[in-house]
Amino acid sequence: MQENEKMSHENDNDEHHLPANGDNGTESHDHDHDHDHDHDHDHDHDHHHEESFISKYIFSLDHKMIGKQFLVYGLLMFFVGGGLALLFRWQLAYPERPIPIIGASQQYIDEGEVATGADKMWERIYESDKEEWLEVNMPSGVITPAFYNMLFTMHATIMVFFVVVPILVGAFGNFLIPLMIGTRDMAFPVLNMLSFWLAVLAAVIMTVGFFVPGGHAAAGWTGYAPLSADPQWTGVDWGQNLWAISLLIQGFSSLVGSINYITTVINMRAPGMTFFRLPLVIWSLFIVAILLLLAFPVLSSALALLIFDRLAGTTFFTSTAEGGGDPLLWQHLFWFFGHPEVYILILPGMGIASEMIPVFSRKPVFGYKSMVYAMIAIAFLGWIVWGHHMFQSGMQPSLGAFFMTTTMLIAVPSAIKTFNWLGTLFRGSIRFTTPMLHSIAFVSMFVIGGLSGIYMANTPVDIYIHDTYYIVAHIHYVVFGGSLFAIFGGVIYWYPKMYGRYMNDTLSKIHFWLTFISFNCTFFPMHILGIGGHMRRISDPTQYEFLQGFQGMNIFITMSAFTLGFAQLILLFNFFWSMSRGKVAEKNPWNVNTLEWEAPTPVPHGNFEQIPTVFRGPYEYSVPGEESDWIPQAQPEHAPATGGD
Amino acid sequence: MNHSEIEMTQSRPLSNAKLAIFILLGAETMLFVGLIGAFLVFRMGSVTWPPISHADINLPRLVTGINTILLIISGYIMFQALRAVQKDRLKQLRNMLIVTGVLGLLFLGIQGYEWIQLIGKGLTLQSGIFGGIFYVLIGCHAVHVFCAVVWLTIVTAKAITFKYSGTDHTGVATCTIYWIYVVALWPILYILVYLT
Amino acid sequence: MYKWLPFPENISTFGVGVDKLFMSIYWLTLIVFILVTITLVAFLIMYRHRPGHKAAYIEGSTKLEIIWTTATTVIVFGLALLSYPQWNKIKSPTQLPTPEVIVQVSAKQFNWDMTYPGPDGEFGTEDDLELENQLHVPEDKVVHIQLTSVDVIHSFFLPNLRLKQDALPNRFITVWFEAMETGNYEIACAELCGFEHFGMRGFLTVHSEADYEAWKAEMWPPQ
Ligand code: HEA
Ligand code: HEA
Ligand code: CUA
Ligand SMILES: [Cu+2]
Repeated sequence: MQENEKMSHENDNDEHHLPANGDNGTESHDHDHDHDHDHDHDHDHDHHHEESFISKYIFSLDHKMIGKQFLVYGLLMFFVGGGLALLFRWQLAYPERPIPIIGASQQYIDEGEVATGADKMWERIYESDKEEWLEVNMPSGVITPAFYNMLFTMHATIMVFFVVVPILVGAFGNFLIPLMIGTRDMAFPVLNMLSFWLAVLAAVIMTVGFFVPGGHAAAGWTGYAPLSADPQWTGVDWGQNLWAISLLIQGFSSLVGSINYITTVINMRAPGMTFFRLPLVIWSLFIVAILLLLAFPVLSSALALLIFDRLAGTTFFTSTAEGGGDPLLWQHLFWFFGHPEVYILILPGMGIASEMIPVFSRKPVFGYKSMVYAMIAIAFLGWIVWGHHMFQSGMQPSLGAFFMTTTMLIAVPSAIKTFNWLGTLFRGSIRFTTPMLHSIAFVSMFVIGGLSGIYMANTPVDIYIHDTYYIVAHIHYVVFGGSLFAIFGGVIYWYPKMYGRYMNDTLSKIHFWLTFISFNCTFFPMHILGIGGHMRRISDPTQYEFLQGFQGMNIFITMSAFTLGFAQLILLFNFFWSMSRGKVAEKNPWNVNTLEWEAPTPVPHGNFEQIPTVFRGPYEYSVPGEESDWIPQAQPEHAPATGGD
Repeated sequence: MNHSEIEMTQSRPLSNAKLAIFILLGAETMLFVGLIGAFLVFRMGSVTWPPISHADINLPRLVTGINTILLIISGYIMFQALRAVQKDRLKQLRNMLIVTGVLGLLFLGIQGYEWIQLIGKGLTLQSGIFGGIFYVLIGCHAVHVFCAVVWLTIVTAKAITFKYSGTDHTGVATCTIYWIYVVALWPILYILVYLT
Repeated sequence: MYKWLPFPENISTFGVGVDKLFMSIYWLTLIVFILVTITLVAFLIMYRHRPGHKAAYIEGSTKLEIIWTTATTVIVFGLALLSYPQWNKIKSPTQLPTPEVIVQVSAKQFNWDMTYPGPDGEFGTEDDLELENQLHVPEDKVVHIQLTSVDVIHSFFLPNLRLKQDALPNRFITVWFEAMETGNYEIACAELCGFEHFGMRGFLTVHSEADYEAWKAEMWPPQ
């Protein structure tokens, strides 16, 4: 590779100031690392001094611990978001039927006769004078239509903002960026910690919303105004406010995080780590940080206007006969943020898959540079397609043609990525490890999800399928089939570096196959529902005659969704169990070139004994004439190819 | 792939702190893009501007124009402050910082006074989108000026206690970048909101 | 139309084009998907790790890169070209066909208010007929719907007509259709509009020419 980038880091290896700016800025965090400043030379020997539980596990400044915190937090929220989905899936399969276990028996509902333990509970609830939460939201265990709206609103909000972004960006970004570019920590460790705790605060506020009078936000994760702008339309009062406030805080968290990532990648790469020697996952996280940085403030501006509408009596989003605001303004602002956001959800997944596919094919990634350019193109095009969510919204129809064309153009960089992944497999030597299975699932599920995007991008076709389950199918193929498979794969792949142990492979394999099958059983039939005209966001499809024939399919989907949920319990168990019981892993179990595997396991404070110098790109596998089929990035030329140490 | 590559220049063009400020400004810009976008949507969607319901409202162009000049001058002086510290003229730095801060406060004060006048004339946050977007957009900028003043105060305090020197003044530099950004943003808003 | 896809029966003139376009994309994406999947599976089998088997060192191929980039670009623009005229025909406000029947539809939580002009053919006069959730139109006639909402955003969805359009508060949007088949059909609300969104259901009755006159004679108050 021919490079003319500037090297970006101090060459001399004994210069290891963590916050790499010796210039002592006003920001106080520059001083928070004095313990590292003091022991530059013999880094890893000096860290036995007492680190309290709190500073090690809770208010940690170490990027690896913060990454793990994000991971655990995201995984736990995944179960909250998924649990909500299971709740409303029950309602879709069996409208008006009490949920099992906590719901009252039919006998009790019909005749008031207490038959089961749950009936007793309901009896108590009905008899008490207070308006109990359960009574309001699911009397006798039947989900009310208003509660249904809260459920899918929070399902999506949590999944998007508190699961996928925290894991992909928060967890992988934090854990991988410093390790893979070869530096000791993030540029601003204190900001990094702040980013995590702001995210937790946002999640807490978001959860509290369920329990305020009037219930939680119920205007969809897209929060369309005017529905969301005035409590009179939904009866939701503080729920929607808390939703907006929580997302504003989440915005700060992302802002702080992305400033950190961008600075770190630009300024702190190890000597020799030029931009075109960055692993693709770092490229993807770098690009995503830029997207987050620029997209989230637009949402913040919209949320601020929404809060003004709700609390200060402005009318930005509500129009009255005398004039007033614009009912489409919210949609424009939301989707101007929202579409880049969905690429925030997929790009790191692409990066993760691009890491694992070469490793387990023992081949260089096919077309490294075009992979990079394709990601940049996707990120760039993502800014000019937001109107494809608004084809039927009453936006000027003549804009439809523009948005359709730009949207479909995204198929081009996506095609480059897809075919390059296939090209990487071509003539490889493929090992079917569990992370590899997840990557393969990622590629094929992303293709399905992407191709269904083409239908929707097509304006005339979108007239019919807009706001039907076709969209729901698309969403889940890209975010579950895409992002989540990448996440699962990535967790298993980097687990040995994170926790020093393997995850149990049998359990991982069972989890993979159960997930893969039940995922497809859950979401593929949704395409068919969509073709049948099944609207999304309706709590009781049996109201409509033309949908009654689909009830069997809805039941099937719900069954599959429960299986899917069950499969995730295996993952959860495996994840926590393996932390203490998993097989102990060696330093570089998959024989990978990138720098994170150069660091000792478990990775100490400061990551590397010596900042490595990088001599080559990240995917030098099976180089002809070499004895070993991998050459670590930090291995000097002509040294015996043993893999470091 | 040879060693000369590794021996290439090792210096970073921007320190972490400065780079981070520039990145932050990217986000700030998008925040204003969102609000200005909303403003333009209302502006284009209304036959007259101000809308008929506010036809009697005249935004104080002249006073605000003078205020604009004040702010631009403060930006220039802030830049001179940075030049001063680069040349190790610490007294000058201190004075410049104080003048900048005073100008910033003056700007806020004049604007606050204007707002009181306008509210008296019936232009309030609730009086339709004209008032709403006016206060939100201009107010958002005012909050930024306020934050900049707070930051400047901290920097000034440090300057007075001689925490900076010709070789060590990242604090001044980052604050200057931010200040100049806030200053440069204002004329755009002034032209958009007051003049067109 | 295609038996294995459970489309509700199409009864609108432009719906034919929509379904055709759907099917073109269907075949296109099916082929792309099958090709990708076959390649993927074939590679997985052919190049699985075996003792003695070594991976080749291939960094990429500019030629292939160019081929699939141009191929996708061409396909995508082709699709776009197919779609423009359809979209304009259905939604462009400048290409609306002349109406033979006009109905005002006003959405509100959680009903469709249908207003017919009455015998004088004018809206806003005393003889207007207002029906809740009942839309009656004649067969083979161009119908204009003047769509609006009095509260939040709703979406006027006629699955059998392949028509969907959001109704915006205090804005009037005109959409059109021409039904080819008589019968009773359902109208749905496709945009989340509150807790009763799922129940915001309307009914479309397409009359034959004669039936329509009879309906008018019965329902529209005499002049
Ligand atoms: C990770 C998230 C993610 C990703 C990656 C995408 C990717 C794409 N999305 Fe999706 N989208 C969502 C998440 C995502 N989307 C969500 C959450 C919604 C719903 C929001 C809501 O309303 O709640 C949505 C909604 C949505 C709509 C609005 C539908 C509607 O409401 O009516 C549209 C319309 O154009 C669309 C299009 C696309 C397209 C064209 C792509 C493209 O990027 C896909 C490109 C990929 C491929 C095409 C496959 C690979 C390519 C090949 C194999 C080459 C050959 C291909 C051809 C020749 C065509 N999406
Ligand atoms: C990252 C994003 C993401 C993920 C991972 C998922 C995961 C799932 N989603 Fe979701 N979904 C969205 C994003 C996502 N979704 C979005 C953006 C929308 C649009 C919302 C809107 O319209 O506003 C949506 C909407 C949506 C709908 C349409 C609702 C409607 O329109 O009415 C449905 C319907 O089936 C659905 C189902 C599911 C299911 C079954 C899963 C499963 O994968 C979940 C798997 C299950 C678990 C992980 C749970 C495991 C937990 C347990 C087993 C514990 C059990 C505990 C209890 C029951 C309390 N989702
Ligand atoms: Cu009206 Cu949904
Ligand atoms: Cu989109």
